[in-house]
Formats: sequence, C-alpha cells, structure tokens
Amino acid sequence: MKPLANVRVVDFGQLTAGANTSAMLADLGAEVIKVESASFMDLFRSMGSNQRDAHGWWNRSPQFRFTNRNKVGVALDAKKPEGRRLLQDLMAGADIVVENFRRGVMERLGLGYATIASRNPRIVFASISSQGETGPYRLHTSFGSTLEAMGGIAALTGYDNDKPVVSGPHVNYPDQVVSLFAAGIIIAALREARRTGKGAHLDISQREVTSFLIGEEILASSVDHKRSRLARRGNAEDGVMLQDCFRTMDQKWIALTLEDQADVERCLAIVGHSKNIRGRLVEWCMKRSAVEACDTLAAGGLAAGLVHNGTALSREHKLAGHTLVRRPNGEIVKGQPYSFGGQELKVNCDAPALGEHTELVLRNILGLDETAIQHLAALGVTRAEPVT
Amino acid sequence: MLEIGNARAPTCVRLATSLATKIVSDLGARVIKLEPFGGDPVRHKPPLLPDASGDEPSALFRFLNAGKTSLILPNESTAMRRSLEALLSGRVDGVFLEEGDPIRASLDESSVAVVEVAGWPTTMPTGRRLSGFTALALGGLLDMVGSPQREPLRLGGHQASYSAGLSAFTAFMALLTQRDAGHAAPPARISLIESVMWVNWKAIAGVDDTGGAPTREGDGSEFQVVRCLDGWIAVVFTVTEFNNLRDLVGSRCLHDERFATRAGRVAHIRELYEYLSPWFAVRTRAEVYAEAQARGVPLGPVCGPSDLLDDQQNAARDFIVPLNDPSLEGLRLPRLPVLWNGRGFAPPAPREPSSPTSFAP
Repeated sequence: MKPLANVRVVDFGQLTAGANTSAMLADLGAEVIKVESASFMDLFRSMGSNQRDAHGWWNRSPQFRFTNRNKVGVALDAKKPEGRRLLQDLMAGADIVVENFRRGVMERLGLGYATIASRNPRIVFASISSQGETGPYRLHTSFGSTLEAMGGIAALTGYDNDKPVVSGPHVNYPDQVVSLFAAGIIIAALREARRTGKGAHLDISQREVTSFLIGEEILASSVDHKRSRLARRGNAEDGVMLQDCFRTMDQKWIALTLEDQADVERCLAIVGHSKNIRGRLVEWCMKRSAVEACDTLAAGGLAAGLVHNGTALSREHKLAGHTLVRRPNGEIVKGQPYSFGGQELKVNCDAPALGEHTELVLRNILGLDETAIQHLAALGVTRAEPVT
Repeated sequence: MLEIGNARAPTCVRLATSLATKIVSDLGARVIKLEPFGGDPVRHKPPLLPDASGDEPSALFRFLNAGKTSLILPNESTAMRRSLEALLSGRVDGVFLEEGDPIRASLDESSVAVVEVAGWPTTMPTGRRLSGFTALALGGLLDMVGSPQREPLRLGGHQASYSAGLSAFTAFMALLTQRDAGHAAPPARISLIESVMWVNWKAIAGVDDTGGAPTREGDGSEFQVVRCLDGWIAVVFTVTEFNNLRDLVGSRCLHDERFATRAGRVAHIRELYEYLSPWFAVRTRAEVYAEAQARGVPLGPVCGPSDLLDDQQNAARDFIVPLNDPSLEGLRLPRLPVLWNGRGFAPPAPREPSSPTSFAP
C-alpha cells in the first residue's frame, strides 16, 4: 500500500525525531529527499563504533542505516547562497518539509516556513522541536532524556520510594514516540492541504508529546493535589494486584502481571499456596529457567513474558513481526510499527551515502545541466565528504 | 468513526484503541464508542478522581474518551450484529476494533478504513495473555530501564499501549489517504509488542554496532538523576556539552585527566558524579535550569504531573486546557501535542450526556 505515492518530502530530519518521521512517510510511498551537507551531516553518521581511520566511515553507521532507508540523499550546503537557492527551489516543489533543528536555524538559512509558504502555499511544514516554536523555553537546549524529565514520565518511573529514572541514551524515549504521532498529523495536514489548497505549519513539541502520554496523570492531578506527593512504586501499578520482574535459575528475568484476585488464585495454584505470594514467586522462579517459568505461568492463564534484550530481539524473527526488515546482504533495518493487509514493508533502497543522489536530484528534479552541476561542485556546495 | 470495544480484549489493548480514536476525535471527527455490554472496564481504572460519582470516577477513562459518544451494545450476539449493521449502514469512514472481534470478518468487503489493535504480532501465537507490562518486557524496553543490579523497570504510565495508540492513529491516516486516491485500503494491524520493539530499535542497532546489546546502566550511565534542593535533576550531556557542564559546576576535580575524554568519563562515571552532585544539592530546580541553559547544557529538572499544570512554557503555549465537564469543576488536561497554524486541539464539549446509552436499532 502506497498512500503517499506522488508525495515529495524534503527531509532535514536529524537523528531519530526528524529522520524517523520522514522514514515513516517514505515507507508509505513518499519520495523522501534527505538533505545534508559536508559540514552538517545527520549526527547518526558519527555515532556507533565507526572506524574513523577508514575512509567512508560516515556511511557505515548502523543507527543511520536503520533510520534512513527508502530515502534518496543530497549534500547541499545551505550556508552558501547557491545551495540555499537550490534548497528553496526544491522546497517550492515539495508537498512536505520535515525539520528538527534548533528553533531559528531554518529562518537564518532562509528556509523557514514563511519564506517557503510564500512560494508554495500548499506546503505542509513540520517543525519538530524540543519545546515548541513559541514560549519562553523555545530556544532552550534539550535532548530526549531532558524532555523525559521535563515532560513528566521520569517522575513516574523509579524503584520503590527511590529517585526518578530516565530511559537513558540507548532509548531516549521522547525521541522515539514523537515520530509515531508526527507522521500521522503530517498526513492529516496533507489531506487537508489537498482538500483546501492551504498548507500548514505544524509545530510539534517533543516535550508536549511526552506529557500527552501521561495525560490521565495530569488530569487527575488537576483536581487531586495529594497526587504530587505520591512515591514511585517500581513496577507496581495502581489497580493491579501484583506486577514485577522475577529472576530465574538461569539468571534471566521474567515479567508477571496479576491483574486481580482471580489471577492471584491462578498463580497460587501454580506456585503453591502461601500468604506471601511475592516471596513464593521469588523461590519458585529461582528453581526454573526463564522459559519454563514463563511457559508454566502463561499456560495457567497469566500474563507472563520473558524480559528480552537486544540480542534476543535480533534473533526473535517472529516476535519482531513487521518492525525489522532483513536486507539481502543480511543487514537489519527498521521496519514499520504497523502492517497493511499483512504485507511486509518493501525496502527499495538502503540508506544513502552522503550526497549519493545529489546529481540525480539536481538534474532530474531541479533541471540543472552538467555545466551548472560542475560549477556547484567547484564552489564546494555539493561536497560529499565531511569537513573535519 | 466507530471504536468497537471487545469484551475479551485485555485492558492494555483497549487503552491503545482508545488513545488512537481520542486523537481522531480531538481533531474533529465524530467518534462513536461502542462499549461492550456492561461498559468499558476502563471506566473504573485508576487514577480515580476525588469525590467523583456516577459512571466515570476514572481520570484514565475521561482522558481517553472525553468528547466521544458512548453507546452500549446488546449482550446477545444476533442483536449485537444487527446494531453494528445499523450503525455501519450510515456514513462511517473508519472502524477501530480489537483483535478477536467477530465483526472483523463482516468488514472485509466494506469500504471503510479498518484498524485492528492487538497484543501480539500475527507471527506469534496469540493465545497467551498480555499486559502492558509484559509487552514492555517482550519488546525489550523493560531491559533498558533501571539498574543492572536490580529488576528491569517499567516506564511510568501506559507506554506500551500509548505507543501502539499513536501507531494506530498514523496507520488510520494512511488508510484514509489511500481511500482518497480511490484505492482499496487493506486493514491495518497494530500490536503492542511490535510498537514497543519499534520504539526500542536502538537495542537491536546496538547489537549490530558493537556485537553486544545495550542494557540498563543504572548509576553507570552517563545520564543520571541527582538530587537538588527541591527535587531532582536529570543530568544530560554529550561530548559537545561536557566542558560547559564542567565550567558550570566549577569543581577543579572535573579537570582531572580521567575526565578529559568520553571514554575516561564512562570508565570513571561514579567518581564524575561524586564531583558533580554537590553543586546540585544546594540549588533549586529553577536555579539549575536557568544556569544550565545560560551555558547551553541540557539538564532536565524532573517535573511531576502537578508541575506541568503550572509550567510557564506550557502556559505560554496553552498546552493545558480545561475539560468541559459539568460533573466536576477544575478538570484540566493536555491538548493534542501539536499547534496547526497556531491552533490547538482538545476534546470538544460533550454532544450528549457522557454516560453511555444502550443502543438497539
């Protein structure tokens, strides 16, 4: 299913929040042109354990590969007037722009919403930022973990009566979930633009997305001031009889939820009756492997699951469903969080090398001839190796 | 729009379906929520509101369902099917339903956009029970949070359900666009486990990158939460900001060669935090945040839900809005996390009484 066929996206997305949003649009059939430059690459190119002493290291990051498949890539230096003009032309013919720079960067480059909309009033211009386009914090510096703290999730995460916890640099939860929402709202705006001829500036704050995902807690706190003093409770959950992880004989963990008294009875029937069900579970699990413990509890009608890590996930093809795609060369890239009619995501091309499709885009989309293309190269506008 | 609740669906799936249709409802669609006979069990799930009487003591239910029209389906299967057929004979653009609902088969020939929300991927046996917590475990996100010496830790709230709910919303928008073009739109399917895995992709990319799986690091992590005078601060920095953080804290010990490189800092992270922590202990969250931002260091004061209600950034953006509900005054909730040409979206005032109505054609 390609609902976004004939839709062109100019993708200034960096790292996860922006680049991942554009990847989701690419997976739905959009033509996504990823814009970088020799002096400003997607930061994912520099992450991971790239061998900096080997030529072409910037094209070998797994994090970049996961997030930028199904895109074409151009290297155009927006700080040079010739590069800026070309990008303005590219955006003038596009349907969607996605960017997640610091506020003000696009405007300083002459690529802000007002400039582009004056030439292309149908443009859907998605600005994904830490704290939004407006307000006193609009220019503040943040990463995903900053927003996990400021957005409210960290306050609700932590061991019993202990300090708040953030998901950390290997998750950066707010960076992940923003794409799931942003892609949908961009498509909604695109439908509206097609219907009315009027585009949209979408101001998407990652902090707001994070807070939205604890909306019921904000709502409850608005009329119940005692909630501000509630302690963190580990894996326990209000309204659930018992919920936690238990270590097993093979030094793994399983997760178990006993939702109500009926679940408690089911559990006791399996592990043996005791007034201290938690203690009984600890003993029972330590005498079994994780798989045996989980299978037994699940067969008894309980919600029990293995705590998987990345290694287990990369082997669990069935569990991954549609979320991973294995390329012909054996590499894994990210898939989709949904499927349509049970179809696998088709990955048409791997993540682009820096500037891999610059000439193609200049020639076929912007109509430049060979002389103009060579002139841009001579000026350094289309340089495709990092400036270090 | 129809949201069809399946009496056999686990709560974690119901929360995902309800979040997806909430977004669509807040954007202006009319959502008819069909509750199973006996009502949606989420009506009684915490957090509960103080002194709230009647059918809706649950803040969770109100957050997810304010602005929708609720109807209760008959208990008897023939009557239930007739009721659904009657609803589907009118204008319906989309149907959200939950795995295992027998109505799914009768929608295969219809032109409406169908979104099915489930717990497990189709590639896995689905007979087993699932909770939001076990979905986090199976999808690997539980392993990433907390301390390596202690049990894996869940993120606060209903994050497995809500990430699936966001996915379902986006899938629905894709289906509508497919229909706009005059093409057949096959049913979309979203599972909680897949949504969690998708969110947790860095765990798999990490294995690809280094051969070892990243996991929870506790007090071995570069990003830690430290105490300050009136709460907590998430200390967040990369190689780019470390020198500014060092200058902010001003301890000469931080100039030690152990901390001169990222590898050195990671190897001596506990000592690093011993030198950092005292600076925070004598400052408030507001003081830390202001001083850190002045130097471009992305430290995060930990805000609880109550703090968010009065936060000046949220106020400037009208992010927290009143909930029009005559049954309890003072309710406020976050609007959708987008400003569309400057406009925000929140639940509309109820069209009908909010308590569910029995429906029979």
